[in-house]
This record gives sequence, structure tokens and C-alpha cells, in this order.
Amino acid sequence: MEEVDKILIHSLRQAGTAVPPEVQSVRDLTPELVVEAAVRCLRAVRPALGAPLSPLLPPGISARFRLASDLAAACQELGFGGDVGYQTFLYSSEHDTRRLLLFLVEKLPRDEGERGAETPGTDLEEGSGKSGALLRAIGARIREQLGTPWVPPVCRTPRLQRLQTPPALLETHAAQLSARHDWEAEWGGPGLASRLPPQDPQVLLQQMQAAAETLQPPKGPEEAEAEVRQCRGALGGREDALRVKARAVELLPDAQNNMAKLQLVVESSSRRIVSLAGQWERHRGPLLAEYRQLRALRDSAQVAELEALPRDVSRAVYTQRILEIVGNIRKQKEEIGKILEDTRALQKEINALVGKLERTFSVTDELLFKDAKRDEVVRKAYKYLAALHENCAQLIRTIEDTGTIQREIRDLEEQIEGETSAKLPASLERILSDCRALREENALLAARARHA
Amino acid sequence: MAEPEAQLLRAVGLIEKDTNGDALWVWCYPSVTAELRTLLLRKCCLTDENKLLHTFVFGQYKRSWFYITTVEVQDSPALKKVTHFSIVLMAKDFNPEKYAAFTRILCRIYLKHGSPVKMMESYIAVLTKGICQSEENGSFLSKDFDARKAYLAGSIKDIVSQFGMETVILYTALMLKKRIVVYHPRIEAIQEFTRTLPALVWHRQDWSILHSYVHLNEEELEALKACTGYIAGFTDSEVSSRSDLYDVYVNLADSEITVSPVVKEAMTMGKLHKEIGQLIVQSAEDPDKSDSQVIKDISLKTKEILATLASLTEISDGNEKPTLNAEALKQKRFPPATENFLFHLAAAEQMLKI
Repeated sequence: MEEVDKILIHSLRQAGTAVPPEVQSVRDLTPELVVEAAVRCLRAVRPALGAPLSPLLPPGISARFRLASDLAAACQELGFGGDVGYQTFLYSSEHDTRRLLLFLVEKLPRDEGERGAETPGTDLEEGSGKSGALLRAIGARIREQLGTPWVPPVCRTPRLQRLQTPPALLETHAAQLSARHDWEAEWGGPGLASRLPPQDPQVLLQQMQAAAETLQPPKGPEEAEAEVRQCRGALGGREDALRVKARAVELLPDAQNNMAKLQLVVESSSRRIVSLAGQWERHRGPLLAEYRQLRALRDSAQVAELEALPRDVSRAVYTQRILEIVGNIRKQKEEIGKILEDTRALQKEINALVGKLERTFSVTDELLFKDAKRDEVVRKAYKYLAALHENCAQLIRTIEDTGTIQREIRDLEEQIEGETSAKLPASLERILSDCRALREENALLAARARHA
Repeated sequence: MAEPEAQLLRAVGLIEKDTNGDALWVWCYPSVTAELRTLLLRKCCLTDENKLLHTFVFGQYKRSWFYITTVEVQDSPALKKVTHFSIVLMAKDFNPEKYAAFTRILCRIYLKHGSPVKMMESYIAVLTKGICQSEENGSFLSKDFDARKAYLAGSIKDIVSQFGMETVILYTALMLKKRIVVYHPRIEAIQEFTRTLPALVWHRQDWSILHSYVHLNEEELEALKACTGYIAGFTDSEVSSRSDLYDVYVNLADSEITVSPVVKEAMTMGKLHKEIGQLIVQSAEDPDKSDSQVIKDISLKTKEILATLASLTEISDGNEKPTLNAEALKQKRFPPATENFLFHLAAAEQMLKI
């Protein structure tokens, strides 16, 4: 039970409920925590249901009552089979709370890598998990591609090239058109007078094209723009160089002094830069150390968490436990079978004996009755026989009643145990106090309504 | 004219791996963009659990060179929560030796003091004066590390001894500004091999085509595709299936060179190539010749070829550069492969009339 509770509380923490670390089992959960846990799980399972419900239990009794009943209705809508009402949250029993929380946690969407095998239905529904992420990425990419306008192949930047969805017809047409145009230009224009050995003119043309391409790669408008930008940049650089050279020329006449002055300037600037670097270092050092510390902490925290809840590690232990329990159950089933057999045998014996008794009695009865008319002794014997039979029958009846009553006692005892574990007196007190508080609130509201 | 240091060094940064297993950018100066930060986290070997520690890696991204030195922290009182750290340097020039030495000094400073402020002092000192004190009573002088020395630091002889005559395929590909992809499971092997390749076309002295450490990542591949010709090094064997990325595929581990069918036409080899190949192999096999002499021999041959090409060009009105006179080329009646090669070389050197 403790293991189950631990896993349950861990799952609740993951869903976003702030369960304090002292809480180790469902017994220790306060109504506030139960409500918060239920609302957060509800929000994770179906945001539409959970959104109007607040995870904080309000102080007012009527508000609490309302929230609890809404929560109960929402849980029932989710499909919770058991008995759930406002009492499950406000005046909870351990057993009911555990049942409800287990049901909600089961319904939580599966995270990858944490729970076991994922069902395909959950993935497609909730959109979480690896296949969901992939589908979403595909959708985003297609949307992006559909968003960009089609640009003819010659005007594309490399990035656009990658992004363009091939609108086959337009592109092939454009490609064919340009190829045709090129071909016609080649054949129409003046050829190169060449005395190279007679080769297939196609091959020759290809050679020419290849040679031409090494010199001038085809330029689209994008590349022309890039060239313009490059030239402007180069121009800017040249202007700067010109300025520097002009200054140098100015300083040339008094070369030695100016050199010394320039050197001093250079030295002072380098000292300044180094001091700035020192200042920066004073900030950078602690920041880097903090970053590394936090990373180390995070890694160790992850490891610690993993160890605190060694679900993967002790999966073997769990399976062993389960197999043990299954074995035990099988043994118990065998024993029950044996007992059933015994019972049946006993019942058969009883039936046989009862039958024998009846037959014997009726035979004896007849026998004695026949002689009872003549003999006084036989009449007395007959009376004794009847009395004996009657008393024995009563004895048997009493024994049967005892057995029934004992069974009833056992049932009642079980019921008593169940009820005592439900903490009825404590809940009853709470309900009574809440009822009183509610009555007071009603009186207050009524008074206010009358005055207003 | 060598550029002043201040214009070469771009940024310095620090990546740490701590006891929690996180690899974090903890400090940088002056600033590193978010894009670069993700890139550099990928390049430094601290993010992946399985990766081994690479002491020094370098590469290029969008015309900026990065150099990363990684160190394991053992018993350092100043760095308690750090298990490893990488110092990243961004610079405009290619000079692995210089920046390896510099980052090593910075690493030692950081190990000792645990604070990047000390590192910053050395960085600023190098930035402004080109010199800084190292921890072992020595000093690091920026001018000790010449750019040309960096270009010549690789071993061309090793390449020729690994590939023999096939080295001419690499030569042709480089001359025609094709895309070369190199694969090897170890980044150090790739770095050593690829850094030497541009020396085959010494007349250009262009190491900006070198991308020695590339991952199969969208942004990096886009940046790569923006270059016309490149040498790209990958440690991921998947790159062999990416035929859109290369014209020549070099499997350094198996010493195999594959030419993509797309460029087979342009790269057909003939008598001229055989000549060049033999020259390269002979020069490299000569024990008396140093690596730089081998490079010189190759560049002499290249100059010859370029001279031949120049003789066939003319300055026509309207074009600033000399353009190839196709008639003159045909009149020379070169063997077809040579003519093809010269034609494509003219295209690569931007000497074709359009």
C-alpha cells in the first residue's frame, strides 16, 4: 500500500500539485490537497472540464460545498464508476480517496519515457509523445512552405530553394523555356572559329559552356544585389583606409615625436583594454561558476529523483512481487477448492443421514404404531420415540441457527471495521460543525438581504 | 609588403569542457559571431564524446583562418572544474606554425593563471608590438614566422612518394582551378597533405583555396560551393558519395585519386602531362634536392607553359587582359590533349574571349 501511495503522490506532484514532502500516504492528504490534486488532474485530462474549477478550496462552507459537488460531477462525467459526491472531497475516507485519485491518475495523458507502453489511441488524441510531435512538425513545415510565394528558379536564394515546394508544371516549363532559349542563343550567335579536331558539336558546345561557367556563374537579381552590397562594403573599407593614410601623411613631418606619441597612445589603450578585461573577468568568473554549479545540481537532482523513485530499477522487484502474489492466489484457490469439496462431501453426508433418519423413523414409527394399539409399554415407547425425534430435530435446528447467526456476526464485524476506518465520528463532527456554520451564513445573508 | 599584425589577427576565444561534460564558449575578444561560434565548437574536438584530442587543427571559413589548440587540464590549481580547454585564434593569413606557437603560449598562460586576462595581455602585446613573453623565459616574435616559410613548410616529396606519377593529376586539377576533395580519417594527415598542395601552383601563391577541415554541414558546404576551385579536407567518409562537391576525389588513406566523369574531358592527359609528371617524380626522387627546390623546378615548368600560352594571346581592344587567340593556338598544331589543356588553362586564367 505504501508503494502504491508513493507512486500516486509522485504522479500528483508531476501533474502540478504541490504535495508537501511529509505526506507519504493517502491517509495524510488534507481535503485541500485532495481538491487541488483532483482539479489539476482534471485539467490535464480534459482542460475544458477543469478550467472553471479552482484548485484552491475556498474558506466559505457554501463555496466549498459548491466546488466539491462540481468536482464530483466532473469526475462522474469522466467516467468514474464508484460513488462520488461532495463528501468524497470534504469528508473523505482513505479508501474512497485512494480509489478516486487512482482513477484520475490513470486517466492522465501519458508522458514519454516515464510510463510504460503507450497506446496509439492516446497519442493521436492528446498529441503528446513522439508520433504526435512528428505530426506537428510536419504540419508546421508544410504550412511554412505553403506560406511562401512561388519564385522562379533563377531568382531563388539557397534558403528559398530549400523551402520551395516544387510546383512541377510551372518549374519544368520555366526550365524548358530557359534551356530552349540558351540553345537558340548558342546556335543563332556567331560560333567560335575553331580548328579543334572534329568533334560532335554538342560536346563542343558543352565544353564551351563549361568553360564559360568557370568564368562567370549565372547571376540572378539576388546575386546582383549581393554584389552591390559587397562593393559598397569594399568602398566603405577603402574610405577608412584613405582616412588613416591621410592622417599618417599629416603626422609624417615630425615623424619621431609623433611615433613616440602614437606608441604612448597605443600603450595606454592596450592598458585600458586589459583593465576592462579584468573588470569583465570579475563578472564573468562568478557567473560561469554559478552556471556550472546549477548544471551540476540539476544533474544530481535528476539522479536523486530517479533514485528516490526507482521505478525502472525495481521493475524487476515489482514483477517478482506480482508473480509471488499470483502464486499465492493460486494456492489459495486450490485451498478454497479443497474446502468446497469437503463442504460438498459433508453436505452429501448430511443429506444421506437425514434421509436415513427419516426412513428409519418412519419404519420405526409404523412398527411401533402397529403394536401401540395392543401394548401399553409399546404406546409409551412410541410416545418417547416421538419426543426423541422432536427434540433431536429441534437440536439440529438450533445448531443450524447458531451457524447462521455466527455468519451474521462475522458480516457485522466486517461492516463495523469498514465503518470505523471511515472515521465516521470525526467526519460526523465536521459535518455537524459545517452544518452549523452554513446555517449561520444563511442567517447572515438573510439579514443582509432584509436590510438591503 | 607584409600587413601589420593588427590587421591579420581577428579574434581570440576560449572554449572549455567542464566536469559536467558541457563544452562552452567562455570568453572571446573582441567578438565572435554566433555562426562562427557554432562552427568552431564543431571544429574543436571537445563536443563529441568519442573524438580523440587533436592538439592543433586549422582551417578556413569564408576567407578567415581559424587555429585551434586543445589541451587537457591535469592538476591545475587555477582551473578546478575544467577538464579540457581549447584556445581559438581567428586570423586573415595562413601561417599554421606561427599561430600554433602563439596558441601554445596562450594555453600555458591560461593553465598557469586560470584567467583570460593574462592571455589578453599577451594577445594585445602581439597585436600592437608583434612580440610577447612566453612562460619559459623566451619570447614569441611574430616576425620570426614569415608567410613564405609557411607556404614552403609542407613536404612536397612526401606527396610525390605517396602518389608517384598521379601527382600530375593533382597538378592539372590545381592549374585548371578544379575542386579537389581529400578524405582521411585523421585530421592531422589531411592538414599535412592539403597544406602542401597549393605549392604545386607556386606562381599563384594562393592558399585561400585551401579549406583543410570541413564538415558535411549545410552552412560550411554552402560557403565551399561559393568558391570556384578549392582543396577541401574531410574526415567523414560519407563525402565520397557527394559527387556534387568535387571534380577530383583523393582518398588519402588508400592513396587513390578519382577524377569525376564531369571533368574527364577537361582533364584528359597527354604528352605534356607525361612530361610534367616525369619532371615532378624525378625532381622529388633526387635526394640532393630539398622540398623548396622541387617546388622551384615545378614552378619553372609551369612558367614555361604559361609563357607558351602568353605567346598565343593578344591584347585586343576593349579587354584589359590578354585574351587567347584561338587561331594561333590551332596553328601550333599541338597534340589534342595539350591543346585541350591550354584551352582550359586559358579559361582558368581568365584569358578567354567572351
